[in-house]
Amino acid sequence: MWLQATLLLLASCVPSSLAIYFDEVNHVDYHHALLGFPSPQSTFFLKPSASSHGSLLYTLSENSLLGAVNPKGGFLLWRQNLSRTALPVDSNAHHLLRASEGTNALVSALGDYLSSWTALDGKLIWENWFVDETVADLELLELEDATASPSVKDTVALFGGKAAVVRRLDGDSGKTKWEHFDESGDIPFQISSSSTEVFYVSLQPSSRKGYRIKVTSLNPLNGRQTQQHVLNSESDVTSADSVLFVGANTAAPFIAWADQSRKALKVNVIGTKQVQTFDIENTSGESIRSITVHAPKKLESLTHFLVHYETESTTWAEVYHINLKSGSVSKAYDLPRLEGWSAFSTSNKDANVYFTRITQSETTVVSSASHGILGRWTHQAPPMEQALHSVSEVVSKGDTVAVRSAAVLASGDWQLIRNGQTEWTRYEALTGAQAAAWVEEDTQEDLVHQLQVEGHESLSGAYLHRVKRHARDLQHLPEWLKGLPKRILTSILTDEVSNLDGYGIVKPVLVAAENGRVYSLDAGNHGAVVWKVKAAEAESWNVKAILTQPGSATIYADDGSSVTLDASTGEILERSPATVKIRSVAVASDGTSPVTVGIQENGVPAEVVNGPGFFVTLSDDGSVLGWIASDNQRPAWQFRPAHGEKIIHATSRPSHDPVASIGKVLGNRSVLYKYLSPNLALITAVGENSVTFYLLDAISGRILHTSFHQGVDTTQPIASVISENWFAYSFWGDVIDPSDAKGYQLVISELYESSIPNDRGPLGSASNYSSIADLPLPHVISQAYIISEPISHMAVTQTRQGITVRQLLCTLPKANSIVGIPRPVLDARRPVGRDPTANEQEEGLFKYNPFLQFDGKWYLTHGRDVAGIKTVLSAPTMLESTTLIFAFGSDIFAIRATPSQAFDVLGKSFSKLQLVLTIVALSIGVAVLAPMVRRKQINTIWKATS
Amino acid sequence: MASLPLNPPPPPQWVVRMNTPMPSLSKDASSIPDPPGYAKKMSAKNQRAQQSAAASAPAKPVETDTLKVKKAWEIALAPSKQIPMNAIMMYMSGNSLQIFSIMMVFMLFKGPIQGLINTNAVFAKFDTEGTHAKLLGVKAIYVVMQLGLLCLGVWKVNAMGLLPTTRSDWLAWESERQPLERAYFAFG
Repeated sequence: MWLQATLLLLASCVPSSLAIYFDEVNHVDYHHALLGFPSPQSTFFLKPSASSHGSLLYTLSENSLLGAVNPKGGFLLWRQNLSRTALPVDSNAHHLLRASEGTNALVSALGDYLSSWTALDGKLIWENWFVDETVADLELLELEDATASPSVKDTVALFGGKAAVVRRLDGDSGKTKWEHFDESGDIPFQISSSSTEVFYVSLQPSSRKGYRIKVTSLNPLNGRQTQQHVLNSESDVTSADSVLFVGANTAAPFIAWADQSRKALKVNVIGTKQVQTFDIENTSGESIRSITVHAPKKLESLTHFLVHYETESTTWAEVYHINLKSGSVSKAYDLPRLEGWSAFSTSNKDANVYFTRITQSETTVVSSASHGILGRWTHQAPPMEQALHSVSEVVSKGDTVAVRSAAVLASGDWQLIRNGQTEWTRYEALTGAQAAAWVEEDTQEDLVHQLQVEGHESLSGAYLHRVKRHARDLQHLPEWLKGLPKRILTSILTDEVSNLDGYGIVKPVLVAAENGRVYSLDAGNHGAVVWKVKAAEAESWNVKAILTQPGSATIYADDGSSVTLDASTGEILERSPATVKIRSVAVASDGTSPVTVGIQENGVPAEVVNGPGFFVTLSDDGSVLGWIASDNQRPAWQFRPAHGEKIIHATSRPSHDPVASIGKVLGNRSVLYKYLSPNLALITAVGENSVTFYLLDAISGRILHTSFHQGVDTTQPIASVISENWFAYSFWGDVIDPSDAKGYQLVISELYESSIPNDRGPLGSASNYSSIADLPLPHVISQAYIISEPISHMAVTQTRQGITVRQLLCTLPKANSIVGIPRPVLDARRPVGRDPTANEQEEGLFKYNPFLQFDGKWYLTHGRDVAGIKTVLSAPTMLESTTLIFAFGSDIFAIRATPSQAFDVLGKSFSKLQLVLTIVALSIGVAVLAPMVRRKQINTIWKATS
Repeated sequence: MASLPLNPPPPPQWVVRMNTPMPSLSKDASSIPDPPGYAKKMSAKNQRAQQSAAASAPAKPVETDTLKVKKAWEIALAPSKQIPMNAIMMYMSGNSLQIFSIMMVFMLFKGPIQGLINTNAVFAKFDTEGTHAKLLGVKAIYVVMQLGLLCLGVWKVNAMGLLPTTRSDWLAWESERQPLERAYFAFG
């Protein structure tokens, strides 16, 4: 037993992990790699290569992100941002993604940009730009006559522009094989291909109104026109949206449209001139809201298709068969009319075609050949949210089938339902996150109140109150004692995180998304969504601010309305109606309860606040305005930048920005006093090719400091931040005179009360000052660094008391990461061109180096690809060492950072087990040795006297 | 109350033997010649001791006082001999805050302070009526010497940066200058 204990003790001395921070990944941070809302036509299941067993879920989202998601677990395998390389496109550009089974290639199109990617790992195969043309449609050629099955498939793309062009692009290189120009001025609509022909469908404006559908057949080998015919559809087709479907890559491609009253469905099998008309049997009494056609896209599949009708409250569908030989279309069967919404999807298994119908209560699968239901699964308890569209994959084994469907819900979630069970949900709506805030838990509120009571009572009264409070606390003792063994056990066995919950390090985050929904993310559980609620009354909103109170949060939208939510459940507690359009929200927090004031577009506070205080606002005409809180008629001051400059950004010190020391102790132990004022505003104004940073005093509107840079590329990101007694900014600067530097620059400026140590400037030892009467100017020390990439956003870490070293949080859009630069590295007093003296070394200064290389250890996002971050927030915790960081924009990323190491927390290397075992071993040793020693002592006494 | 034994036990054998003087040698025994190499000096030593005792006995009290004062001076000046040694040790130990240098500084303070407290006790044995006036000067010098050692300690503590003599030592007690006005920003 002793040997075992000794071995155990020895074993626990070995550090548990040698790579220090590796084990903290996924423990202190979480990341939602999001794609955005999947486009209906560009989402599908696909086997990435012929040899792979499972298929992956591919999508090109409306945010122009192309990605592959593993259907098991729902995590992202790879993604590519197409809008990075494409020229800026308008929002209604087509997002097209096509793929063919067994080729390991995807072809995507966005605006003028065509690219091909490997399906397995998302690597670029080829890309091609067609300036002044936009891709209208895209198909992969599935040629039957090609020998065997080619590993690469050529692309046929239809371009709109001055003239419509059909191009066949090589599957390996993306080079044009042939072009077919159509200069008739018709609207290029879609292309479709059969095994022997390429069909180019365009809309020909008729002389009266409406469009005729023109079908041009092209030879796929050389692009020559083989035949052309026009379908008389001008009475039905009023715009491109009127055509319901142009069949792509089926054995018998077809065009479907409906008449304007939606009473008849018209179908033309491409290549024939015959248009068949079917009456739509609408017995619901409601008008049909939409008609959607679902058809299989694979060449070998049966030529069946499904037409989905939707009215306000019911949905039904009809299945049609196309006879390949005669080219005639016949209705096969109906799918019953059901209340509520339905989402249909098509899937193939070899030649068989299956239609999957998802309703709010169940999933059903039917074969295209007959109306018998092959599989029916009821969904779990809460009725499913409305699905807008879905894709499915059906596997059949004998008579039974299994299905998994990825449904895009109206709330922006992407959900995988496997045989009626929800496997995973991706909250893609979080890509449109507009504001976020940490929840303030109300557990401590009662205590705070009690302490306030004690503070206001007399000494004896307060003492009695306290004794009573503690006596009351004793009622929790039995519970506490009951939970004690468990707590001890868990604290020994598990990681520290569960024990630190009380220190505010796992506060939930509220995120308000563009689609009017509010999400609560649980930091303790990898950022899982705890609840979500539709807080906006409209479909979308523009959130200006989230302000949290203990237990609740108020969200302010730009129309002046606000919603108060219960922070723990998401229940809407209060709603205030829209008033005036606001551009921002000011929070006046002097005295007891904070007062919020909306700031109108022109910079005028919407309300008057009684009490002291000043508001500083931006107006839409590009000036900074200062207001006395009690007067919103006339600004107290107005700041306009120099002529030709326009304000692009304004920032102030964070509302929670504690300063641990008011001076900086130098090596010789004298003090350089910091210029600390909560009323500093840093204004960024850009000119033609210059940028100016104005440091303003917000009370008097005086300019305290200006820095001007020429040769600046103002299209590149310019970021700035101000905190404590320093500010930092970055921009791209070119060489104007030979001493300048060219490249991305990061400038740090520190403000001091005086250039002389031990001097507090003109105000001397005065304990307060008025900005209006006598405001001294700061002594500014600056240093500039060259950095390797642009910074799009800056923030500063916040801790409870500001003792911990601050980090400058920079968002790097090129590297898709967030870097935290420690402030000591950016000290503006680093000696230039010489080694530091002994005194400077004592201060921690080291030699200035103009190039600032981002250390790998500074990357808070480490290996993660955190894309599209627009805002980074930081909040203190109860632990001085720890700060919470939350970044949102496109992705969601959060981390718990310790800029000066976790000095107030026992680390993982601290082995509680070892400690306990040591104590136990020592106790046993004492217990064994004590009687022995006692016996020996008695013996010595007795034996000596005898 | 513990009862005492009525008769004290007889003293042990060795006490009795020790208390009884050595019996004089018998004539026979004294006639035995000493072994070669043994010099019987006992008597000579005794004689000399008796002589010196006879000489010191009549010494005058003035001389004793002079001697005492001389002895007291020696004690008073003793700390001055420590100063150079301590100075070198302090210089060598460096100004960093380590357990070794802290202990040395502690000893440096402990010695002089104890010495100062015990000033009178140290010179008590030399204090007679005749030397009393002269000892005052001696004590003063002793105190000065101890203060010298103390100064060395203070110098060392200052060199170690432990004395709050600079502005930075009082920085924590200085407060941030409060603005009278407060601005609320709404830059959005």
